[in-house]
Amino acid sequence: MFSKDKKIEIKDAETVIGPSIKVKGNFHGEGDIVIEGNVEGSIKTNSFLLVGNKAKIIADIEANDAQVGGNVTGNIKIKGYLEITATAKIIGDIETSEISIEKGAIINGKYTMLKGLSENHKPSSDK
Amino acid sequence: MHIYIYDCFINQKKYDAITAKIETRITDLGLNGKIIRLSLMNSLDEIIRDEIKKGAKTIIVVGNNTIFNQAINAMAKTHHELSITKRVPLGFIPVGKDDNEIAPLLGINLEEAACNTISGRIIKKFDLGLANDYYFLTEAVISTDGTKIEIDQKYVIQIEKPGNIKIINFAVNTKLPPSISSCAQDDVLDLFIENKKAGGFLKKNEDKSSIIPFKFLTILNQKNPLFIDQDIKITPPVNIQIAKQKIEIIVGKGLNL
Repeated sequence: MFSKDKKIEIKDAETVIGPSIKVKGNFHGEGDIVIEGNVEGSIKTNSFLLVGNKAKIIADIEANDAQVGGNVTGNIKIKGYLEITATAKIIGDIETSEISIEKGAIINGKYTMLKGLSENHKPSSDK
Repeated sequence: MHIYIYDCFINQKKYDAITAKIETRITDLGLNGKIIRLSLMNSLDEIIRDEIKKGAKTIIVVGNNTIFNQAINAMAKTHHELSITKRVPLGFIPVGKDDNEIAPLLGINLEEAACNTISGRIIKKFDLGLANDYYFLTEAVISTDGTKIEIDQKYVIQIEKPGNIKIINFAVNTKLPPSISSCAQDDVLDLFIENKKAGGFLKKNEDKSSIIPFKFLTILNQKNPLFIDQDIKITPPVNIQIAKQKIEIIVGKGLNL
């Protein structure tokens, strides 16, 4: 699983959308994805997603873990850990198990913590 | 039987000494076979098709990247058209240092030293790309100017800065990030978009490239053609996909994938 200390570099990713690229449609990958350009539609990966500082995304996002530093308009659904850095500007709902938000980030939307939900709904026999 | 096909340029007198050495080495190793010299009067595609039909054990091309790439297309087409399940392997004896970048990546040394590779007969299976109806092992290139790309019929890519678009199966002239496998054995092709870097003494030399793995894409461009293996020109629209056909190549021990 993605560690909070992990710093993905562009050279490590299987898919890189560079700053001069605009993607329109359903962009679904299997490995780590780095987005530095523009995406409109939807983004999905079962691995790690890095949204760079200059990225502009108008799309719903689904990933295992993610780091967001760019502009995102759309809902973000992360199974594991989501790191939002100071440069991020997010308009949309966020759903994740773990989160960190750096001072300066702008977020407008509903936030749901999946981890808390699952604990509250544990059956009594488990306690 | 081994079939040796010599490229046209080998017919020049200056290559006589090299071919004599190759033929001596072939005899020493007991790899004798039929020698066919390409000329304006015969076609590589037809020769390969005929010899495979006649039951060739190995096709060995003697020359440079050009004949090697053309042989790959001809062999893949022949195997497909004749529905051959037991593939005939392709051997390669590179002659001359110019235009011979593929051989070292396959662990094949130049000229008579390549005969040892043929003798060793280490056969590896490689994926092929298929651009419309042309099979390729290495790379296809088109300018970003006026190009639109549709991938896996799911999304469209627009490129906003000038540069080159490469479709890579087996990287020969492109340095890819270490995480990308470009050894033609992963059953995917890679779309590599390399933008021209902004010049200037004080400008930071940032990495502006993009890379996207895919299985099927369509290239649209009304102005520029697509070049395959730096040789074959195809006018868009071009559908590029990972081919069902594979190719078996005799490689050296120093295979550099």
